[in-house]
Amino acid sequence: MFILLIGLILFVAVMGFTLGPRAGLSWPEKFIKDTVGFVQSVFYKPARAVAGFFEDISNLRSLQEENKELKIMMAHYSREMPKINALQTQVESLQNDLKFTEAQKNSNKFDLAIVDVVSVNNDPANRTLVINRGSNDKIRKGLTVISDKGMVGIVSEVSNFTSTVKLLTSMDSRDITSPGIAATAVGKENTSFGIIEDYDQQTGTFLMTKINQNDPLAKGDQIVTSGAGGAFPKNLPIGTVVSRQPGNGLTATATIKPAASFENWKSLFVVITWEVPK
Amino acid sequence: MARRYVMTLLLFLLFIVETTIVPLLIPGAWQTRIIPHLVFVVILFAAVYDHRYVALMLGLAFGMLHDVVFYGIMIGTYSFSMGLSGYLMGLLFRSRRASLLVMMIVVVIGSLLMDSMVFGIYTVFKIYKLPYTYALVDHIIPTMIVQLIFALAIYVPLRRQIDKLVRRRPQEETA
Repeated sequence: MFILLIGLILFVAVMGFTLGPRAGLSWPEKFIKDTVGFVQSVFYKPARAVAGFFEDISNLRSLQEENKELKIMMAHYSREMPKINALQTQVESLQNDLKFTEAQKNSNKFDLAIVDVVSVNNDPANRTLVINRGSNDKIRKGLTVISDKGMVGIVSEVSNFTSTVKLLTSMDSRDITSPGIAATAVGKENTSFGIIEDYDQQTGTFLMTKINQNDPLAKGDQIVTSGAGGAFPKNLPIGTVVSRQPGNGLTATATIKPAASFENWKSLFVVITWEVPK
Repeated sequence: MARRYVMTLLLFLLFIVETTIVPLLIPGAWQTRIIPHLVFVVILFAAVYDHRYVALMLGLAFGMLHDVVFYGIMIGTYSFSMGLSGYLMGLLFRSRRASLLVMMIVVVIGSLLMDSMVFGIYTVFKIYKLPYTYALVDHIIPTMIVQLIFALAIYVPLRRQIDKLVRRRPQEETA
């Protein structure tokens, strides 16, 4: 009985200690994560391949249509490309004229690192994924993880060869370690602003808060990250506005349907931003 | 003794399968509602047919493994709930000759207890904010049903293995 009591106290202490913000993982944690992650990747890859094969067969019919759409998108892209290049050079020359510092120039640059999902934890309060890249591949804590559709999560812990991704579905405004995402609407970048900081598990939607009452944000708008605050890179898709409601006090809130589906994990991308040298 | 190590290794493999292959088999809409902990089902078998301390140790170890690998918010939730509920189930139901029916009742109660404990811990730390009735219908009961089916499937081979394991060891404890 006495031992049980000690055990209980020990566990509460461990939970309390690991709940708050931590600098990094200790080496036993890293070792366990890397070893288990390696074994998991050995299992997950072939299983994913087999599952993907059956998925492909069932998708065969829609393939032609998808191909057509992709060709149209490709045409758009190649038409826009010279324009984007010209704008890019113009922006760079203007930045040079205005004597931007190195940090300012690099603030919106990022690389995408493609990663494979190694294993999945669907625990509703703490949904996490393990991915097969770690600090050896320049993955850092706090980086954003996106799928081909939109933002899915934030790297929560990093070991040498694997990292854990905390999904946006566990976002919570009352948790100090859970970051709010500064967001804006496509086409209204200068006038719309709000913070996405809650996920409703019952309806599967995000809640965007702190929207100004005069804000033109409306139903159907595409929501992307605004880059304000510097925690997340600019222009990553988050979702679309389902409805807008008056919030408490002077601000409004909006309900947002996520762009990414948080199921059937395949490959993801980690957005590696430029690191400010210390 | 070697058999015991092999069993633990197989349990580790089951943990790997549970976190990699099982989520792929669950249809998309149910992926957040069915979260089977197959390792925990085996731990319940160990609690009933072997000993509660075995269940406690296995629960603590594999729960900790789960906590560390999927460290998103805090460490200790699964370690605590798996260990304690395995121990309690062993304390209440331990019997070498427990029938299939008794074992299935243990799986039902144990699964509900474990998931409720996880729910309780997350509620205490204000991580999960929905009411218990919602959690029960949303994921605790569907998960329990899948775990029950898994328990039925492994009952015969697993019981045979545990019986061999226990018979080989002299009856040093009768507590």
